[in-house]
Amino acid sequence: MNCELAQERIVTAAYGELADEQVHELEQHLSGCDLCREEREQALALKVLANAHPVLEPPPNLVARARMRLGEALDTLPPKRWYERWGGRIINNFARLQAAPVAALLLLVAGAGAGCLGSYEFAQIRAAHAAAQTAAASKAQPVASIPELANVASISGIVRQPNSEIVDVSYNQLVPRRIEGSLDDPQIRQLLMLASEDSASPGIRDDSVGLLAAECRAGHSCQPAGIRDALMVALRYDKSAAVRQKALEGLEPYVAQDVRVRDAVLEALLNDSDPRIRTAAINLLEPVEADTSVRQVLYSVSNSDESPQIRNVSRQVLSRVPEIQ
Amino acid sequence: MGGSNRDGSAQTQERLQAREAEMDLIREAQAGSRSAFDALVRQYEHQVLRLALHLTGSEHDAEDIYQEAFLKAYRYLGNFRFECSFYTWIYRIVTNLCLDQLRRRKTRREDHAVIVDRAGDEIDTLAAVSDDRSFSNPARELDRKLLGEKIQAALTKLTPRERMVFELKHYQGLRLRTIGEMLSTTEETAKNTLFRATKKLRAQLAEVR
Repeated sequence: MNCELAQERIVTAAYGELADEQVHELEQHLSGCDLCREEREQALALKVLANAHPVLEPPPNLVARARMRLGEALDTLPPKRWYERWGGRIINNFARLQAAPVAALLLLVAGAGAGCLGSYEFAQIRAAHAAAQTAAASKAQPVASIPELANVASISGIVRQPNSEIVDVSYNQLVPRRIEGSLDDPQIRQLLMLASEDSASPGIRDDSVGLLAAECRAGHSCQPAGIRDALMVALRYDKSAAVRQKALEGLEPYVAQDVRVRDAVLEALLNDSDPRIRTAAINLLEPVEADTSVRQVLYSVSNSDESPQIRNVSRQVLSRVPEIQ
Repeated sequence: MGGSNRDGSAQTQERLQAREAEMDLIREAQAGSRSAFDALVRQYEHQVLRLALHLTGSEHDAEDIYQEAFLKAYRYLGNFRFECSFYTWIYRIVTNLCLDQLRRRKTRREDHAVIVDRAGDEIDTLAAVSDDRSFSNPARELDRKLLGEKIQAALTKLTPRERMVFELKHYQGLRLRTIGEMLSTTEETAKNTLFRATKKLRAQLAEVR
């Protein structure tokens, strides 16, 4: 063993992590090497010195405060939707099966059996389809141009009737619909709220959140269980910063009176990735800047935000408002 | 021999039961039970705070890390597939948050050489560790305090990963293999990082003794 390797192993051994046979090798090297024996003394001395910075038990009031703050934050989260819970449950059940080898094996066998049966059926259908194709080749018509089959969303079943060329196909069709109405119409509002969460297009989410936000700012019926909730969800979860900005603007009138809105804005100030949103959040908190939780968040932001401007603005707000005891 | 075998197997039995109970709690929490999640938080909150407090030196920062860690755990609990222990999973979240915190500090060059409480006042860490001798020997008390500050200053000179590995190994007593899992690396890499960290610390502290 050379000294370089020995010195690495000295540290590993000092922390009780060296394998027994390597400990023996190391001891043999140390018995004949003054330099490495000195290294070992130094490594042990470092361990003692480092303990001059001891680990403290967290004080009980820190634990209590942290627990309370976490509880408040969890209370403001929207409850998981039924499909999220069920999806999670199904995936985790598969995960549990993975931990049960025998069950997994049985599942494999059953799956293989079903697969074989399915392949047989599929092969039969393909044969029927190929036959149908050659027969219809002279009068072929692209499927897309068949009006009855516009907007087919998915095929849910294919069954071939035995010993025949008749195939039974089940399919789902999207039916585009349109509705026109005023912003007070409950149907319109419900569709806008759905659009704010579910639309794949950021443009549509932007439009819907913008309209809902305008309703809230104008003071029209913006009850908590409804538009306000939808805006808080958009502020928290939407991937588009423009949508989050609109949601924030819509929530402005409610920061002072609704503690859930205040906390949603605090969460945006702490966690939003876009500094413009975080800056807008600080401005929105003006009516409640003397609140203890707001001050705590501002204190945290003034120390740890990535943006120097935001840190500055937070410090300015903190110094402007006298401490509430 | 027979007695110790029985003790050993009783201990294993207890550990298995505790593990099983925790898995049930996790599944309940994944199914949406808030009280099950709260029970999980209670099991790990002291360790999380102890680590965050020692690493950051600030009650405020420790509380922020606690908040972020458990909110993340709540949000992503559905992704936990039992392929590692929950302990490793939650610690992985916490260590990553601590690493982010250390990196931010590095870029801002803040030096929290002493622990501050919420009012911004220093907490005398050595006074918190009671030692009768210190009352009768103020000079020694001062030496210890200065030494504590020197150690903290030396720790800030390590890279975030070196600091993290040293913290987890020396101060929190975790095994190198566990540290590797938490930092998504190998035991070997964790070992090398520990070696580099101790070398740097010794170089920093050489003038002290």
